[in-house]
Amino acid sequence: MKCGNPKIIIKRKQSGQTLCKSCFVESIQKKAIKTIKQENLIDKGDNVLVALSGGKDSVATLDILNTYKERNIIELCAVTIDEGIANYRNDGVAIAKKHAKRLGIEHKVVSFKYSFDITLDEIMKNPNHRISCSYCGVFRRWIINRAARDFEADKIATGHNLDDEVQAILMNYLEGNIDNLTMIGAKTMSHSPLFRPKIKPLREIPEREIGLYTIAKDLDVHLAGCPYAQESFRGEVSEIIKNLSKNHPTIMYSTLRGFDKIKLALKKEHKHDFQFDTCIKCGEPSSNEICRVCTFLDELGKA
Amino acid sequence: MNFTLIFKNNKETRSLANDNTTINDILNDLDLSSETVVAKKNGEIVIEDEKIQDGDEIQLIQIIYGG
Repeated sequence: MKCGNPKIIIKRKQSGQTLCKSCFVESIQKKAIKTIKQENLIDKGDNVLVALSGGKDSVATLDILNTYKERNIIELCAVTIDEGIANYRNDGVAIAKKHAKRLGIEHKVVSFKYSFDITLDEIMKNPNHRISCSYCGVFRRWIINRAARDFEADKIATGHNLDDEVQAILMNYLEGNIDNLTMIGAKTMSHSPLFRPKIKPLREIPEREIGLYTIAKDLDVHLAGCPYAQESFRGEVSEIIKNLSKNHPTIMYSTLRGFDKIKLALKKEHKHDFQFDTCIKCGEPSSNEICRVCTFLDELGKA
Repeated sequence: MNFTLIFKNNKETRSLANDNTTINDILNDLDLSSETVVAKKNGEIVIEDEKIQDGDEIQLIQIIYGG
């Protein structure tokens, strides 16, 4: 207990610390600010694009970055992606719009339908479809990169949390995907000028604490599960980590710390000079002649 | 002795087994993990060790979904 208030809202298993609402909210903001400072995520004058789904992680990211906007350190803008998932995405889009309006932030909603002439629901009806998360990840990155250039944003902020980062570390390690493994971090840079650096201010905060933060601050968030989530490898890895965390509450922190320590050596040993060029079809940066988006669209008969 | 439980747009009255029933007991009953849920008692966030008393309104908010 920090301030003596007996109204405890969290008992942290990883440290035994108990906190009241105001001390907890302050601790989350301080943690994110520490990551931003330590990892040099923001420069004064940056225009930061928030990838805003309306879920707890992106709304918390927007809320914390807005404190920088209020102090005139950065400019903020936001993009929301409508993948076209019936009975799921509309609520998130409405909440995202509300937050952007409330904070006076430039915001746009871009759909898969508008960008690729197909919704995720339509893709999943295709008999030869891949797993849903493959399309979502690749298509969303494409839209966010374009939006960043349209907004003339200097950085793209995402709501990735500690759970997401640890899942990504384990997934890529287990799959032997060292290229992707070396890309994990608080700030992702690229050699292509068409990509903007991506930043993750919440990467050291557990997912549950971000959810608790939004409820403690009475922030309206879209709390629902993606109907396609159960199909993913990420879901299986997440389950393993959650089970391990029950008896080893510090395991996510130690995994992230350990990874951050070996990452530099890993990068050095596994150096790749990606020859970035542009996709001959859509003009977006791609290390192959045709990018992943256009490859997927080809498979779906949408090229 | 009863309490009101609000979960997933449902509101129901439940009987209290004894004076020592906690939020954790309810989570176990519903097969929910405290890691995925935030609990409120009479509108205020509480931890899972919190005891439930006669007439309390308990709201469980699922904040983490699978995947």
